Amino acid sequence: MRRGIVLATVVLILLAAGVVFAETCLSPYIKGLRGPEKVMYLWTLPADGHGSDYLTVIDVHLPSPTYGKILEKVEVGSVGNEAHHMGFTDDRAKIWAASLNTSRFFIFDVQTDPMHPRLIRTIDDVPALTGLSGPHTPYAIPGRMLVSMASGPEGTGPGGIAEFTNDGDFVASYKVANHPYETVVKPEFNRMLTSSWAAQKTFMSPRTTWDPKDISDTVLVWDLKARAVIQELKGEPFPLAARWALKPNATYGYNISSGGDSIWMFRMRPDGTFAYTKAASTGKGCAPGDLRQSPDDRYLYVSCIAGSEIQAWDISNPEKIRLHDTVQGMVQANMMHVTYDGRRLYFTNSAISSLDYSPRYALRLIQIGPDGRLKLDPTFVIDFSKAPDGPARPHDMLLN
Amino acid sequence: MPGSGGRRPSLRVCELGASTGPPARRRAWLAALSLLLCACLPRAATAQEVKAAPAPRDLGVSPAPRLPVIKRAPDFTLRDTAGRPVPLSALRGRAVLLSFIYTKCAAACPLVTQRMGLLHDRLVRAGLRRTTVLLTVSVDPERDSAPVLERYAARFGGPQADWKFLRDEPDRVRRVLEVYDEWTRPQPDGEIDHPARIYLIDPRGDIREIYSLSFFDERQAFVDIRALAREFR
Repeated sequence: MRRGIVLATVVLILLAAGVVFAETCLSPYIKGLRGPEKVMYLWTLPADGHGSDYLTVIDVHLPSPTYGKILEKVEVGSVGNEAHHMGFTDDRAKIWAASLNTSRFFIFDVQTDPMHPRLIRTIDDVPALTGLSGPHTPYAIPGRMLVSMASGPEGTGPGGIAEFTNDGDFVASYKVANHPYETVVKPEFNRMLTSSWAAQKTFMSPRTTWDPKDISDTVLVWDLKARAVIQELKGEPFPLAARWALKPNATYGYNISSGGDSIWMFRMRPDGTFAYTKAASTGKGCAPGDLRQSPDDRYLYVSCIAGSEIQAWDISNPEKIRLHDTVQGMVQANMMHVTYDGRRLYFTNSAISSLDYSPRYALRLIQIGPDGRLKLDPTFVIDFSKAPDGPARPHDMLLN
Repeated sequence: MPGSGGRRPSLRVCELGASTGPPARRRAWLAALSLLLCACLPRAATAQEVKAAPAPRDLGVSPAPRLPVIKRAPDFTLRDTAGRPVPLSALRGRAVLLSFIYTKCAAACPLVTQRMGLLHDRLVRAGLRRTTVLLTVSVDPERDSAPVLERYAARFGGPQADWKFLRDEPDRVRRVLEVYDEWTRPQPDGEIDHPARIYLIDPRGDIREIYSLSFFDERQAFVDIRALAREFR
């Protein structure tokens, strides 16, 4: 019997070690990749805004003869959408791709043939259906998608959260007082946080015309099951990407303030309310654009859109985070995606057509060493400024 | 067959050594099993998971759930372990909690079935068993014959009049899985990858909540069922 217990313990240790390696920054309801990625889906828009937005399918399977090459483009058949963020459904069978400008949703089947995604539904009338516009991030909950919507149906005023079935049928919408950007859920606590930015008509206008009154600086805490806001956390302008620590029952997480050049920490108190404090400065002029995390809760990665660098923050001591490493010269660095083993970080460098200041659009790769140091991989470059059908802006990525 | 009032071990997701009563050797095995179950659940887990602090007990449960109509529950008829046809439409007027499992599943399925058992106990105690039916459907009819499924059910206090374990010919099961978007993908090790959602269907036949098997909490399901009972009183 004792030998059996020892054997079971060994199996458990191996299993526990195995689950360290899981893809991060997905909804906890999605099974993250536990092995090397084979294909990347990249939501892309023509730089001149005239052609159809498309899903770029890229070979990222290292042994493949076409590694690092574009395999195909799946066009959505309409223009001016402003391709931006995407999300898997809870079963990874579909991708929802949202468009900032037209508020359309495009649903792709990536289960039937993962190497050849197929557009299976376009939802055109989102503002009429939901009373909301400017969808930012589709986020999976069981059998459904929650989408953070920046504004009211006309592209102005506060927004909310829209709920759909995985197939694209509207369920309900929940209006709030700010401009929702991203959603993160911790199911153990029935808590959802939504970060915020600006109304659709604001973020689709040139930066110089933005009215500070239209810019949010709050994160909302929700009772997820009740779909009700229970607390407002006030910080600095543009609290964008948010990440909850991955450890089950972890009561804390971080988000970035693009307007404040800062990282903020949220922490749940025993009564379910939250404290919200500034954790670090990313350096003046960084303008953080994205926030990602390593699978072991050891590092955070911050992209600086204006500062053109990517930062690695050591969060081993969650209350006292420190800058660990940077890679500089990453012009307009924006969206990132960390692999299941925490050893590779893909990034793109287009924010929004209204904000981009450099036309040198590309998908690049950073190798992450065992010591957490970052090194730009010179061999992996897809230059979207020289894309075959004309320059294009690459934004959000998903791996499969 | 254990009766509905029989004691069930109180395993909970990632709460180690929570069972009471059994001898020390069995307790050690139960602790090992619960570790195994926690480690195998399909979630973005880390090694620290098994050491994580327990969640504050009541924060995970919302006392005032919002249960919008998600969509119509597709109708189906499958057979119970005695071979009797059970049409979903015949259960109108009662809330239905519909789960999908397979008996060879090493991890999440027995855990969620156990939680269904705990929920069943709560419903009995609250006098809600007449207004609620639990359905546990096997996604693996080839291996889950009626006797196999019956034995599996008995481990958790089923089957009972208000907790039915269903299977049928593979073609019939496949059609049900399709309409519930419950695809299956057999794995080389004999496991079956499947979305493993749990559906709460109201007495009119509308789906009102979808739970993730990984995060299924019978306390919240009880609150949700009670809310439906009040709505349809």
